[in-house]
Amino acid sequence: MDISSDESDDWFIESLNTYKDLHVFQLEHPTKVIEWTGDKNICVAGYTGSRSEILELLLPLKLYAGENQGLCAERDFKVQHGGFSEEPIESLIHISGTRCVVTSGSSSSTLQIWDIGGDDSDVIKRTGVINLKSTSVKGCKIAPGLTDEPAVLHGSCISEVQLTEIATGRVLYTVAKESSDSVSGLQFVNACVFLICASDGTLFMGDTRDPSTCHYPLEDSKSGLHWAFGLRSDSSQSEPSGCTVARLSSSGHMLLSDLRNLQSPFCQTQLNVQHDASKNDFLNVSWAPVLDRCLSVSGKKCSSPQPVFSHRGHEMSDEAKYSGSPPVVTTHSWHQSRPKTILSVATDGSLHVWDWVDKITDR
Amino acid sequence: MPDIKVTPLGAGQDVGRSCILVSIGGKNIMLDCGMHMGYNDDRRFPDFSYITQNGRLTEFLDCVIISHFHLDHCGALPYMSEMVGYDGPIYMTHPTKAICPILLEDFRKITVDKKGETNFFTSQMIKDCMKKVVPLNLHQTVQVDEELEIKAYYAGHVLGAAMVQIKVGSESVVYTGDYNMTPDRHLGAAWIDKCRPDLLISESTYATTIRDSKRCRERDFLKKVHETVERGGKVLIPVFALGRAQELCILLETFWERMNLKAPIYFSTGLTEKANHYYKLFITWTNQKIRKTFVQRNMFEFKHIKAFDRSYADNPGPMVVFATPGMLHAGQSLLIFKKWAGNEKNMVIMPGYCVQGTVGHKILNGQKKLEMEGRATLDVKLQVEYMSFSAHADAKGIMQLIRMAEPRNMLLVHGEAKKMEFLKDKIEQEFSISCYMPANGETTSIVTNPSVPVDISLNLLKREMALGGPLPDAKRPRTMHGTLIMKDNSLRLVSPEQALKELGLSEHQLRFTCRVQLHDPHSDNDTLGRIYTHLKSVLKTYSIQHVPDGTVIVESIVIKVTSSAEEPNLKVILLSWSYQTADSTATKKKKIQL
Repeated sequence: MDISSDESDDWFIESLNTYKDLHVFQLEHPTKVIEWTGDKNICVAGYTGSRSEILELLLPLKLYAGENQGLCAERDFKVQHGGFSEEPIESLIHISGTRCVVTSGSSSSTLQIWDIGGDDSDVIKRTGVINLKSTSVKGCKIAPGLTDEPAVLHGSCISEVQLTEIATGRVLYTVAKESSDSVSGLQFVNACVFLICASDGTLFMGDTRDPSTCHYPLEDSKSGLHWAFGLRSDSSQSEPSGCTVARLSSSGHMLLSDLRNLQSPFCQTQLNVQHDASKNDFLNVSWAPVLDRCLSVSGKKCSSPQPVFSHRGHEMSDEAKYSGSPPVVTTHSWHQSRPKTILSVATDGSLHVWDWVDKITDR
Repeated sequence: MPDIKVTPLGAGQDVGRSCILVSIGGKNIMLDCGMHMGYNDDRRFPDFSYITQNGRLTEFLDCVIISHFHLDHCGALPYMSEMVGYDGPIYMTHPTKAICPILLEDFRKITVDKKGETNFFTSQMIKDCMKKVVPLNLHQTVQVDEELEIKAYYAGHVLGAAMVQIKVGSESVVYTGDYNMTPDRHLGAAWIDKCRPDLLISESTYATTIRDSKRCRERDFLKKVHETVERGGKVLIPVFALGRAQELCILLETFWERMNLKAPIYFSTGLTEKANHYYKLFITWTNQKIRKTFVQRNMFEFKHIKAFDRSYADNPGPMVVFATPGMLHAGQSLLIFKKWAGNEKNMVIMPGYCVQGTVGHKILNGQKKLEMEGRATLDVKLQVEYMSFSAHADAKGIMQLIRMAEPRNMLLVHGEAKKMEFLKDKIEQEFSISCYMPANGETTSIVTNPSVPVDISLNLLKREMALGGPLPDAKRPRTMHGTLIMKDNSLRLVSPEQALKELGLSEHQLRFTCRVQLHDPHSDNDTLGRIYTHLKSVLKTYSIQHVPDGTVIVESIVIKVTSSAEEPNLKVILLSWSYQTADSTATKKKKIQL
């Protein structure tokens, strides 16, 4: 906040009214992943340079101080555990209930399995690998299994998707679909049912108890587009019925489908986005875990329809001022219990934790 | 092996105080002398018995260096110098020298007058201690004695904070104290040149953190002030006169201007004089760029900030007041606090650490009822906010500093080893240097490899080159023959002949002799001839000469044959060889042959 008025200064002053909490951090290396490993912990990992760091960070305690927030001066992230990977990391997932994390990189033909560590050491150690059939520059897509025995669902193209048991390396399930379409994302809905979204927007639904997979292509699929997907499941995990799937294309076409009827989306809309073919990597759509019917999108600049809130913090950072092009948000993640808190990271290494003010409900 | 020894004083995992002993090149230096703010008894002082069991420290220490004025770095200084006993030099920067005694006196007052403690230093002791201080300027080499020199570098963090380079001969250590690597609005970032010390010593308290940006802290400060003022409340900001008050004032002034706010902001008068003093110290201390920003505005001609009068505290409506002292332990800030504490619309913002025993410390610990003089209780209903603005280096900052200074070894103090293994690995792998993390009370020895630069004469160099063989390579040392002359402060390597010439000495030639007797009826000359022939046939690879004057020369060995008149058949063969060839295999072989 210099005496000279800068757009960035204006934004910061404005933020007094538009944000409840705003924390801005600078990681040494940018990350493409944010994965929750506990109530107050996240994992991030580098993707630039051949040697990457994986870090488990403890969120600033001030966020959890509740009524005593004023007395808590702890606004910093703490690096609780750290480790080194020999390759840039494209995806990182945490196996719930364990201290195990699986990563996929852009250069090797294996998935790496890590132990994030406990109280006795702060080093994240690699404990094993899962061999893949091929290498993918974009990295193999991965998702944690939801069964008691830790497993990972992985694949870079549809025909290679399989479920592997982590401890033994045993293949528990293979998708029997002869499709070379690349995978944009995959996720388990419950212990047995999973969804795969291909890059062209086609949805595949499978059940580990059933060898066949159903697929639901888009009604009119335009070539050259890349699709991202986000799954929202009902808190009761038993039936897949309460599950909604959001798909977003790189041209801004948004589709919402119910798992009971994946063929016809129940809602469609067109977002006015910057169409930039080179920036599809970071397209991300997620559902708010607490707020009702609230979706967030990052990786693309969206001008209409008017969003509930737009976080411009990454463009307004000090680092962004000095670099040539504005940073792009690589990914974002909702806080698991605080309704309006989001963590977002960008290509310049910035990491923001913010909680916006809803002009209607908060005033 | 030459080494540097480092011992952080303190016990176990104690983080509260800095006091590090360094032994380098035969010199002993104490880095910082902090008080542990968490203890009420003698555990708050560093344990000097490590240096000596009894008596004064003067003869054991060559100097003491204080990095900055925070109590956890200088709080035990008067105790050390006056109660334990040290009369040697104490080095610190000018601003530190100006501010330290004020802080120490405040601290003493709280501890002795308020808490009634007895084993503590007196006001006179603080004065006597400061008389031993030798002030340092940035980037200026100071000779502590003939061998020990020190140099201060800018550390950022607080006014006057310095990182120090300690050098004895070609060995050096850099101690960082507290520093920050991200530039601050008024203090700038730490800086050091590529001095390549043998060892870089740094605090690791914040090494495993990722710091929230300064802007966000400022934003929160403005938000809290604004919210309180908007609801008609009053904001009290207790400050230390010579600290961040000025920075916060400028921040508020800019904000008030921008938002067109009307609520009054006051600055207590006690602060104004001290502030000008601070301003003068500050201006000579900071760099050109920051100085320019501050010269543009006179420190205390604010549009929106006025001088405070104690009667204003009773005025209705919103206002913001900066008042001293910073920990609410006495004076104006405490008076105002008492008036405003009962109203929940009001707020007090504590911008720094408060010593135990002060009201500041109590309210920061959540206390809602305070006992005042005369058994009166004060209900604390106003909002209490703790905001820390001090700048520290985090993990990224430490890496940046290492990149800047290029030390050969790294040492981190005040960290728990098992919580720092990742950082240690990171440093070791990225820079290929060793990283040490001693526990308090533990001594670490770092082996150094001091290089001794020597000038070599051109002739000697040429001669060596002429001998052929591989070119000089740092990784494959070559033995060479020469004479080392140490004169004045220079070291020169010259050929022996030149050395002798310079010294005006003549070279002595040592020759060994040996006599061998044998019976031979021939004449002396014939005997010699036979020896010659024999040698020629067995020592084919050597140069053998039969000189007319009656000697046979094999390389440098001279052979003569004599006999006495009385016994002409008893030949005495005289063998003589020079010292240089004494050990050569050839000589041995020849001796055996003969």
